Amino acid sequence: MKTIIDARGLACPQPVILVKNNMKDFSEIEVLVDNETALENIKRLAGSSGYNFSYEKSGDSFRINLIRENNQTSSGEEAFSPSCPGVKSVVVISSDMMGNGDVDLGRLLMKAFIHTVTTLENFPEKIIFYNSGVLLTADGSGVNDDIDLLAEKGCEILICGTCVNYYNIKDKIKTGTISNMYDIANSMNSAGRIMKP
Amino acid sequence: MICEDEDEHFVALFFSVSHVMKAEKILQKSDIPFKMIPVPKTISTDCGVCIKFEMQLVERIRSLLDGAVEIKEIIRYC
Repeated sequence: MKTIIDARGLACPQPVILVKNNMKDFSEIEVLVDNETALENIKRLAGSSGYNFSYEKSGDSFRINLIRENNQTSSGEEAFSPSCPGVKSVVVISSDMMGNGDVDLGRLLMKAFIHTVTTLENFPEKIIFYNSGVLLTADGSGVNDDIDLLAEKGCEILICGTCVNYYNIKDKIKTGTISNMYDIANSMNSAGRIMKP
Repeated sequence: MICEDEDEHFVALFFSVSHVMKAEKILQKSDIPFKMIPVPKTISTDCGVCIKFEMQLVERIRSLLDGAVEIKEIIRYC
């Protein structure tokens, strides 16, 4: 049986996921995609699922033909990880220092790092502060304006509540959400990519 | 470099990271607003940290650091 999927305009990894879901029911799949990332992901999926892959370029799109090879049944269960270059990252700040070594140097580097995060092209969706990292969110840390800017630009600021309590800085936090271990662990687990200086 | 008036700043560059850290400690004891930022790529591609401040503070910063930390250069930056 054959199906036709129009995956143009969909964000990565949706096109390849759609194709994967249809492999259970169809031995022949025609897919329209509008970017090379989707093309490459579907090519890799075809290779690992026993489908013959071919495509032709038509205008700005690619028309892909997938045909299940003889004696192959799609298991659909194999691990396949789509690669999406633009996935959003979550920044994890676990200390007020960047790296291990000299304390003063580490603190200086961390300030420079936080400032640089505000200028990143692939803007992170979240930034999580815990342990001594929470000190950076307190008034007077030297990066308050950067954290404000991150929030303004749509980055969610999660601050470990236990840590805020431990360091006794609750009154000094102006920007961000006081959060908990469940949200923090869940955010890390569902992150496209974790960035930890 | 053309700046909007309100965005006009200077950055002070130093000869080493140790110099920057020393300068930061001195400025922290004053009430002067300043900010530690990575040396902008437009100024130098070296890995470094510098001190950013508002234009009108330049003389105060110079006098606070005078004799304590040598400033390599002060450059306009926005």
